[in-house]
Amino acid sequence: MSAVTATISEDEMGARTKPATPDEGSRLGFRLTLPAQILVLFISAFPLLMQLYISVTDWSPLSGAGWWNAWEMWNSFANYTDLAADTRFWSALQRTAIVMLVCVPAEFLLGLALATLFADEFPGKRIFYSILLMPMMVVPAVAGYMFFMLFQSGGPVNDILSRIVGTPVTVAWLSDPNLALIAVMIADIWQWTPLMFLILLAGLVGVPEDQMKAATLLGANAWQRFITIVLPKMKTIIIIALAIRVIENFKIFDTLYIMTGGGPGVATETISVYIYKVTTQDLIWGYVAAIALAILIVLSIVAVYAMKRMAQAREVPA
Amino acid sequence: MKRSVPFEIFRYAAILAAMAVTLVPILWMVSMAFKPIGEWSATGADLTWWPKQPTLSNFQFVFGHSTNDLIVALDHTALKPILSSLLSAVFGTAIAMSAGTAAAYGLSRFGSGQNLPLALIQLRLFPPMAVMIPVMIMWAFLNLNDTWWGLALIYGIVTLPFAFWLMKTFFDDMPREIEEAALVEGCSRLRVFTRITLPMMRAPLASAALFVFILNWSDYLIALLLTTREWVTIPVYMASLSSSMTGQLYGAKAALGLIAAVPPVIMGIAIQRHLVRGLTFGALKQ
Repeated sequence: MSAVTATISEDEMGARTKPATPDEGSRLGFRLTLPAQILVLFISAFPLLMQLYISVTDWSPLSGAGWWNAWEMWNSFANYTDLAADTRFWSALQRTAIVMLVCVPAEFLLGLALATLFADEFPGKRIFYSILLMPMMVVPAVAGYMFFMLFQSGGPVNDILSRIVGTPVTVAWLSDPNLALIAVMIADIWQWTPLMFLILLAGLVGVPEDQMKAATLLGANAWQRFITIVLPKMKTIIIIALAIRVIENFKIFDTLYIMTGGGPGVATETISVYIYKVTTQDLIWGYVAAIALAILIVLSIVAVYAMKRMAQAREVPA
Repeated sequence: MKRSVPFEIFRYAAILAAMAVTLVPILWMVSMAFKPIGEWSATGADLTWWPKQPTLSNFQFVFGHSTNDLIVALDHTALKPILSSLLSAVFGTAIAMSAGTAAAYGLSRFGSGQNLPLALIQLRLFPPMAVMIPVMIMWAFLNLNDTWWGLALIYGIVTLPFAFWLMKTFFDDMPREIEEAALVEGCSRLRVFTRITLPMMRAPLASAALFVFILNWSDYLIALLLTTREWVTIPVYMASLSSSMTGQLYGAKAALGLIAAVPPVIMGIAIQRHLVRGLTFGALKQ
């Protein structure tokens, strides 16, 4: 270790903790973070380089050559230009966007409504709260199977609908291209509204009550209080909640794949399902690597934005 | 604030409606798990919301005691998938928690590893599907495919961000006076960490570990890609419980789904208080 870095960390440490000998602290700190650093490096640097390398070749696990010999199948940027012309990719992306644009706002509004109901004390609050949080703890694949059963043409969803309309309803939810996507979105909303509820409730209880009282005395009604006091106070939390759901929803796979397998046809094929199919069925890994890298680059931009917001949030005292 | 009577009525009505929607899918699976095969696909007027003749045969079936000749025996019972899920989730949690806790302490107290927060958020951000090709190649190279330890390693890395962020917020909140007192007494830094800080953090550590365990236990995609036969986990095994000969084994799948769903739900309720922090990477304090 060079003397320069040692001096810098000594100064830093001196400001942080008084009684410690600075050297000991910085050495221990370095050692403590080492395992995590190694794991992160192991799963990011090398795989990324490998992905970049494979993405400019036609390599596939069936090609007979090891991945390190993929240069023999060099095709420059053909994978990337193919991607631009891949209509199945673009419609999968579009479908992912549709799911996101329906599910995230629905989860947000339902979660916010629930959080408003839970903002103050009332008898039975704890038990209701625990029950309403349950869906997010159910294994997503199992949730997918639950909804697979619910949406069978002879299943409970149609049974409930039959009772409401009075005549037998036998809608084949999961084999109708339009309805399958709706069924998948309902499952996602069921599972993740509790998360929105949980986060937004945490924000809502942080809104100072004296300000609310003052506004009430000044004659503000509930809606005005909500717009002028609650929303501005919760702005950061709302952004974090939405960011988390947008990121997670973009990855949608488990529930959906168990429910429909991406079908019927490609009706519920989202980005993750598309990549999964190309990876495991078509086995054109060079191409998959190119798709994956393109997605990673776009998401990295989102990541930087989300990180900024989170850093800001931590500075705001809750 | 005081609420009016109509509001209270509205509140309970809305909450009961939300509970109904929440519980119907869960109750349907519970009911299905205890239904005999004849009631699995009853429809219309015969649709049974609650098993008419409750039976444990679905559970017996997934553990290899088939009482129905219609169902062809499976290649193996659910015992090994359960073991695989348990081993990979437990050891994955151990990896994530030990690396994450150490790193969180290092950053919280000594400012080491400033790059980790961003690196770990990014790790969480990417769709697993988009980074799995190199992982599949590496795992094949390291002979980790279709092993529980291979799953444990990748689970440990994938959930490291949560372990790290949760523990970091816990360490940040912990008062330092006790640690400083011990330092004055002549304790070494490492000794303070292992003998004073960690024992004091027992409850938060347990919560974080349960949280990470739920995440590991919940995985489907990674196990789907990295296991093929020997060490498939419960969700992968569950999904495979249908064939052209038997059709959908509704009851057996539901029984297995129930086995998979119960542990995380119980754990989740136990650590409710910490869920917000865990899921928002500590961005929100509660």
